Parts: sequence; C-alpha cells; structure tokens
Amino acid sequence: MTAELTVEPGETPESADQEAGVEQQEFNVLVWMSEQGVFVFTALLLVFAGIFIDGFASVDNITDVFNRAAPIGIVAVGMTFVVISANYLDLSVVAQVATSAVLLLAVSNSNNMLLGMALGLLVAIAYGIVNGVAVGVFRANAVIVTLSTTFIGLGLLRWRSGGSIYFGDPDGVIATFGKTKIGPFPLAMLVLIVVTVAMHFVLTRTTFGFLVKSFGSNREATRLAGVNTPLVVIGAFTVSALGALLGGWVLAAFSNTAVSSMSDGFDFEALAAIIVGGTRVFGGKGSVLRTLLGVVFVSALTNIMVLSGYGFGYQQMAIGALIVLAVSVDALARKVGSS
Amino acid sequence: MTQTATLDLGHEKTDLIGRVKTTFARRTEGRAVVLLIAVLIWAFIWESTVFTAYQVTLGRLALIGLTAVGLTAVILMGELDLSIASILAVSGVVMASFDNVVVGILVALAIGLVIGAVNAFFVVIVGINSFIATLGMLFFLRGLAFVISDGKPVTMANKDFALDFGKPLLGEFTPRVLIFILAFITMQVFLTRVRVGREFYAVGGNREAARDAGVPVRRRVFTGFMISGFVAAGAGIIVTLQLTAADPTAGGDALLTSFAAAIVGGILLTGGRGSVLGTLLGAASLAILQVGMTFNGIESDVQNIIIGLVLFVAVITDPNSIRAVVGSARAFLRSRSAPDPAG
Repeated sequence: MTAELTVEPGETPESADQEAGVEQQEFNVLVWMSEQGVFVFTALLLVFAGIFIDGFASVDNITDVFNRAAPIGIVAVGMTFVVISANYLDLSVVAQVATSAVLLLAVSNSNNMLLGMALGLLVAIAYGIVNGVAVGVFRANAVIVTLSTTFIGLGLLRWRSGGSIYFGDPDGVIATFGKTKIGPFPLAMLVLIVVTVAMHFVLTRTTFGFLVKSFGSNREATRLAGVNTPLVVIGAFTVSALGALLGGWVLAAFSNTAVSSMSDGFDFEALAAIIVGGTRVFGGKGSVLRTLLGVVFVSALTNIMVLSGYGFGYQQMAIGALIVLAVSVDALARKVGSS
Repeated sequence: MTQTATLDLGHEKTDLIGRVKTTFARRTEGRAVVLLIAVLIWAFIWESTVFTAYQVTLGRLALIGLTAVGLTAVILMGELDLSIASILAVSGVVMASFDNVVVGILVALAIGLVIGAVNAFFVVIVGINSFIATLGMLFFLRGLAFVISDGKPVTMANKDFALDFGKPLLGEFTPRVLIFILAFITMQVFLTRVRVGREFYAVGGNREAARDAGVPVRRRVFTGFMISGFVAAGAGIIVTLQLTAADPTAGGDALLTSFAAAIVGGILLTGGRGSVLGTLLGAASLAILQVGMTFNGIESDVQNIIIGLVLFVAVITDPNSIRAVVGSARAFLRSRSAPDPAG
C-alpha cells in the first residue's frame, strides 16, 4: 500500500511530459538530467578518474576516500529526512557530530565506552526533540532554529571540554574499529552502507517514511488528513540526530581523537551531497540511495582535485558550482515542463 | 459615501488607548524592545562599562548592524542571503590586493553588486530557492577568497589609511560608526518613504498580488540582492581596514549575528513584515549583550550559548509561531473534551 502510493508523485511529471509538445525534446533532456544525471555523471567521473588520475585507483587511496566519505555520508543520509520533509537542512549536525565524538572518547577514557554511547544517544534524542518541537510545533524556520541550537550545542561542548583534544586508547575497541579493513573497505564504509539500507527501508517501506514524504510535498494536506504533523517533524529531526550520532562515532574511531572543532563544515557538505544526489530541496521527493550517490560523487571529486593539486579554495568553488548547477537543472526542467 | 464618512468618523473617535493598541499591533519591533530593555537593565546594574566605553559598544554595533541592515532588504522579500559571509571575505581580500586603497574599495564594492546580481539571477531567472542559490555562492566565493589570497591573510599596502580609518572623524564618532548610521538612515528612508522600497513589502507579502498590481517583482528582487551584496562588501572593507589585513576565512560570525539581529528585530522570514528600525534595535541589544559579557569576563563559549538561546527564543516567539502553538493547543483541548466517536 505504502509502496504503491510513493510511486505516484514520480509519475505526474511524466504525464505532463506528453503534453509539452514542441518543447518535448529539450524538456526530456533536462528532466532526464535532473532525475537520472547523477548516476551517469558519477559513473563517468569514476571511470575518468580511474584511467587518467594517477593514484586514484590504488587500494590506499580508495580506503582513504571511504574513510573520509563515511562520516559525512552517514550524517547526510540522516539529514536527507529533514530535507525531504521540506525543512531545508539541519545545521546543528556540526554540534551533534562533535558532541557524540567527544562524549564517546572522553567517557570511554574516564568510565566506559557503553556509558559514552548511552550519553551520546540521550544527547541525540534531545537534539531531535528540541529542533523538532521548535520547527514542528512552533513552525519556526528550520535554518534559524538549527543555527541557534548549533551555537548553544557547540558553546556547551567547548565550555565543558575546554576545547581540549581527547585521545582514545591506542589498543582499545574504538581504535581497532577505526583500523579494521575488509580488503580496501574500512569498517566505517560498512556502517555507511548498513545505515543507508536501513534508512532506505524506513523511507520507502514504513508509514513514518511515507508521512515524511507527504509532509514535505504538502504539509497542509497532510495535516488535514489527520496526521500528527509535529510528530513527523520531530521524527525527521531525530533521524538526522541519530545519523549525526553514528557519524560522530565513526569519525572519532577513524582518527581515534575527538575535538569540538572536528566537524566544522559538515552541515553544508552533507547538504551538498544530498542536493547533488538529486533530492529535491523543496521537499517531498528524494531518496537515501541518491544521497549515498551524492556522497560518492562529491568525495570522488574532492579526492581527484586533491590528487591533481587543486587546494581547498578550488574544491570549495567546485562544490558551490555543483550545488547551483544541480538545482538549476532541476529548476529549469520544471520550468520548461510547466510552460 | 455615507458609509465611508461614518467609518472615518469611527476612526476619529477611537480613544487614545485604542490608537496605542493599533500602533502596537502594527509594529513588529516588540521583542527587540523587550530584549533591549532587559539588556540595558542588566548592563546598568552589573556592567556599566558598556556605557562609559561606548566607543567599543558602538563599534560592535556598527559591525553587527551593517550586514544586518543589508540583509533586511532581502528578508523583507521572503528570500535569504547566506552568501554575505563569503562576500565579506572576498571583498576584503580583493580590496587588500590593490595597492591603491580607493581603487581597491571601488572594485570591492562593484564586486559586491555583481555578486548580488548573480544571486538574483539564479533566484529570479533560473528559479532556484534563494537559500540554495546563496548557499552555492557561499561555497564558491569562500573558495574564491582562498584562491585569490592563497589561503593566507592579505596585508594592506597602505596601512596609514587603515589606521586613520580607526580614528574619530566627526566628534567622537569613527568613520565606521558614521557609515553605519548613514546606511541605517538611507535604508530607513528607502523602505518607508521611497516607492521602490515600499514595493519590497508588497513583493514579500504576496508576490502574485504584487505582480498583478504592476510591481516589477523581478527587478525588486534584483535590487534587494544587490543592496545586500553591496552592504556586505562594504562590511568586508571595514573589517579589513580595521585589521589592516584581509582574512579569507572572515564572515562566518557576521552571518549568524546579522541573522540574529534581523530576527530578534522582528523581521518575518517569510517576508512582508518588519522594519530596519527593528534590525537596529536587535543589533543594538546583541551588541550591548556581547560587549557587556566580554567586559564581564564571561567566556566566549558561554557567550555563544547565550546568543544562541536569545536567537532560539526569538525565532519561536514569532507571532506566527505563537499562533501555531495556540492553535494546536486549542485543537488538542477540543479533541480531549469532545466525545470520542470510536469508543
């Protein structure tokens, strides 16, 4: 039942496509680019890099790309729910990732790891509820709400930790987890894949996932259908918080260190991956698998630029251009379709 | 005709309290006034250095307020401009790269205008959500600032000019404060007395209706983004002059505080409501709060927590938010008192 319903929104533009007439040719190209383009471009980029970029296809490099992509990918997968619910993004993942990483290592050192994980879980749920209530019940703008919770959260973390760096036990469980590899694939990559599959299931096969999508495409209709919409929003922000929690753990394990500034830029980088993947920023339409693809694309592109000697500045410019390009194609496709 | 006359008569007859009430209902600065009074009381009792060292407080206000005033023009139309943070960095780096300060300033301001126009192009012509368009620009320009400056701070060639810039120019006021006062008055007059500025409210209130009424919506959005870009570039120049060097990472802090000032000041994020006066009050309360806390020896982390809390409370006490909460509370109570048809 749920699965059938979710297919319907995707079919509407295609029926409009039939009536587009003269502009059909151009319309098809743009729609195809905006919906399927990322698959082809990712494949092309990987093939291109494998052939022309020295060192890209080496085992060490691939492990490195995966290690860097995994934390941001897990965060992006969780944040996809917020984006699909038409709430722009969750800026507070920056504070959440750092808090979960610091709590994990700091409490593991002083007490034990399980307590650190439990505390992290509590903090994540608190973030989900505070953001969700402010956005869902108070209908406040998600950008500003999560901006303020970022400041509160990072402020609390830096104040309590004094901005110090926490080092994990070099032979402990966390360090071992960060070092373990299956072939060229670090365990972190496995976590990313498991999380993606689980979240894909939640988004496409459960009532909650369906409600997030329907809230994102028409919140008023969803509310009038008798759905408790504030709960949907709280749920979306909690999923995002849980993603940030896991992302923080994986990040801490990778370097076996934790510091309050370690997740700077995660907010917009995760959003960039989501947008490049093709999830619509106005909500209602998108998929977790696309986000995974977006993460692969952005990580591979960044890696290629690093290997080719283009520094931080050029990488940021490329990501910025990529965001605008991806959304422009989508916007133009809809514009041509509606005219 | 008679109808109108009686209506007018009724309006005339409204007593003083009634008139005060309507004025208050129309104004959007309520929360900013409350916060400003609270902050002033706190400062009077515990940290009066805020007033004796008013130069510092005014300087801070000029910094927070300038970008916020530019941002107000965009938010009034229901759009966002995240790129101001990077415009700040790029304009500073570009200005510092020129040996001649005047040429540098002119080029930097022109770049601000061009970036604003590019933002507006993507929003209006291509049709991208302004949040995403300016987010892309935020990344792109930050990268550009890094590429131009090679990732290092750019020192100004003409340090004397920058040092003179920090000295009082008119009475006790430094050029920085004077520029802010000028920008504020210009925007206030523009938005309340000039037709083009008044039309910003129409565009933000109901875009379709504004278009039907003959307001050139596209041109207004262009104007708004160009104002925001121009003012942000001006802020970048001022920050650079103050430090005698341009920092390619500048601007992140300005983004938060200017949004906070505008929202505390009662500018509705969906557009159509708010005033530059509100932004000024919001910026003033934040500036006094920040300077006061710094003088008081409160750690910067704790300051961030407090600023974050102020922003959080401001955004959830928006009139629309209050209405939403009251509405859902009523619905909840009704569902409790109504007999359950199922059982």
